[in-house]
Amino acid sequence: MAERLVLRDVVKRYGDKTAVDRISLGVQEGEIYGLLGANGAGKTTTMRMVLGLIYPDDGTITYGGKAYGGDVQRIVGYLPEERGLYPKVKVSEQIVYLAKLRGMNGSEAEQSLKYWMNKFEAEEYYDKRIEELSKGNQQKMGFIAAVVHRPQILILDEAFSGLDPVNVELLKLAVKELRDQGASILFSTHRMEHVEELCRNITILDRSKTVLQGDIREIKNRFPREQILLKTNSAVTGLESIPGVIGVEGDPESYLIRIDDEAAAVPVLTEAMRQSEVRHFEVKEPTLNQIFIRSVGERNE
Amino acid sequence: MNRLGTVIGFTFKNKVRTKSFMITTLLLALLMTIGIHIPFFIQLFTGGDSDSANKIGIAAEDHPEIAQQIEDYVSALPDNELQFVPLQGDTAALNKQAQDQDLAGYLEIAPAGPQGTENDFPSVQYVSKSGSIPADLQASLQPAIENAKTRFIAEGALSDEQIKQLTTPAQLTAISYEKLSGTGTEGTDEGQGDKFNPMNFITVYVLMTLFFFSAMLTGNMIASEVTAEKSSRVMEILITSVSPLTQMFGKVIGVFLVGLVQIGIFGVTIAINLMLPYNRDVLAGFDLDFSQMPLDVLAYGLIFYILGYFLYALLYAAVGSIVSRTEDLGQAVTPLTMLSLAAFYIGIFSLNNTNSLLMKISSFVPFTSPTTMIARIGLGEIAFWEIAVSLVLLIAAIFFFGWLSAKIYRTGVLMYGKRPSFKELRKAMKAYKI
Repeated sequence: MAERLVLRDVVKRYGDKTAVDRISLGVQEGEIYGLLGANGAGKTTTMRMVLGLIYPDDGTITYGGKAYGGDVQRIVGYLPEERGLYPKVKVSEQIVYLAKLRGMNGSEAEQSLKYWMNKFEAEEYYDKRIEELSKGNQQKMGFIAAVVHRPQILILDEAFSGLDPVNVELLKLAVKELRDQGASILFSTHRMEHVEELCRNITILDRSKTVLQGDIREIKNRFPREQILLKTNSAVTGLESIPGVIGVEGDPESYLIRIDDEAAAVPVLTEAMRQSEVRHFEVKEPTLNQIFIRSVGERNE
Repeated sequence: MNRLGTVIGFTFKNKVRTKSFMITTLLLALLMTIGIHIPFFIQLFTGGDSDSANKIGIAAEDHPEIAQQIEDYVSALPDNELQFVPLQGDTAALNKQAQDQDLAGYLEIAPAGPQGTENDFPSVQYVSKSGSIPADLQASLQPAIENAKTRFIAEGALSDEQIKQLTTPAQLTAISYEKLSGTGTEGTDEGQGDKFNPMNFITVYVLMTLFFFSAMLTGNMIASEVTAEKSSRVMEILITSVSPLTQMFGKVIGVFLVGLVQIGIFGVTIAINLMLPYNRDVLAGFDLDFSQMPLDVLAYGLIFYILGYFLYALLYAAVGSIVSRTEDLGQAVTPLTMLSLAAFYIGIFSLNNTNSLLMKISSFVPFTSPTTMIARIGLGEIAFWEIAVSLVLLIAAIFFFGWLSAKIYRTGVLMYGKRPSFKELRKAMKAYKI
């Protein structure tokens, strides 16, 4: 599928400091792309450049092949990290207003708003003012404001932060629905489990540079498997002495065995089966969390 | 263009419906109504019932001719409402009569003095319950008594015509060189005639006050709107939807319309109040003729008003954009408030001296010209090219500051935290490449 949002060698400097150093990425139609990084790594600056709030010093950003302009504004939706709406204006009024600013006409905007309100089971807030809503509901309204005009490119900055699990699921479903309808979504978060669930491709930024990029599966395969999860019926001893094993933690209910060589897996299983009955054996692939900490943490030392 | 309309509509609708707007408008309209009624109320309370207020007694034992002359003089005054009731008797009887007949008071002309002083004009006193004399009564009686005194002393030595001349105050008039010698250029010659028309003065005064208040009030409205959008972070969404220029102009025009509505409401309030029959009489007393309204001054006034408004409004929007919290706004707009205050006071204090150097200079400075130029057009002498130059400068200033404000706005809305200094702002502009 075609890449709709393409960043090529984008550079942004603030004075002597380089905030974003030669970032390239492409988001396809119907894809959620994860943009990860520690605080201050350059995520917000990257997103602001994509939104046309600030201009790159070098490199190009194209939207469906076109450069930034008034037309692009209409197909982009944005949910800022600190989401904001007018506190004293009715929900319906301001969301319709924002939709109109993005080029919808009044009745289209009404219709789309009703659709989303219905989806989020929030029809009762239609005539309420934002300041009257709970924080979680305000966030839902912020999300609706970002997607009400059916954007082709959607920028979500920490979309799920501060929401209860029920609402996170609701919003996740909405994001997936938008993806299935063909939207290109640039997604930034600190919650790795969301990335693992939603994204296919990711970029990890650290101190303004790209440290890791590509398909999550491939990235995971590139990292060695370092953990074995073992569940047995009775205690197993002597696993530490097997070559390649660095440490054993836990009890028969669940052993976590750290290894520095995947070849150690077979001897571990053999030894366990000899001593007891094995209920569960798994050579765990690294979690994104571990990958993130490793690739960002190592550089920080 | 379409989006500009959307921004204007949204700004207007939300501003007009706020409680604070409705309350301020109603309160001010109420104050105006009360203010217009003050002369009427004063009349109501001081006048008492008008019949007895206009009746005063007059007691002149030895000098009936003086009493007669006073009566004649007063009754010949235009709009005279005073009536005299002749009284007789000693002091106690006079007091009793005055009170019985419900008179406002009475004039007592002292009896002729002892031998040798009988040709002196007798003293006259006004006796009333409060022991004082109302100002309007004194204004009618004083010249009447003086007239009687002149006649008393002249005693047939002078003709009536001579006495009349004697009692008329000498006239001192003022005229310009050109007018006297008849060399004035046409145009100014005609204009000269209505320069001293009080309507000119009032028009200029009202236009200046209106400008000052709407520049300040709506300016603050705009600035606080922008700051509120910024502090509620809705700005980040707005700025990705519409260009900052569209946003800023939409806001400025929207609030301008709100201001117009407010002025309209006040105008209607004043008009209705002045139309009320009893107020119309009071107004007539001021001797104002609305048909004398100087249309040219009004037209120029409107042009300068609108242009000046935009100049200030754009700057207020820019200032609003660099502040992150509403609490910091007051301090940030102070320079602009000072500027509009200066424009107002230079104008007001120079109303009697519109041709001073200060006025001449400030009528070309874009920030002060909306008030001072009006004063010069309405009350001073001015050539057309001066108005044109001032207008061009004002328009140029709007373009320059509009451009600058848009840049500040664009940068300011992305900068959170403490209010940036100009240096930081410039640095940020460079960094954002705006």
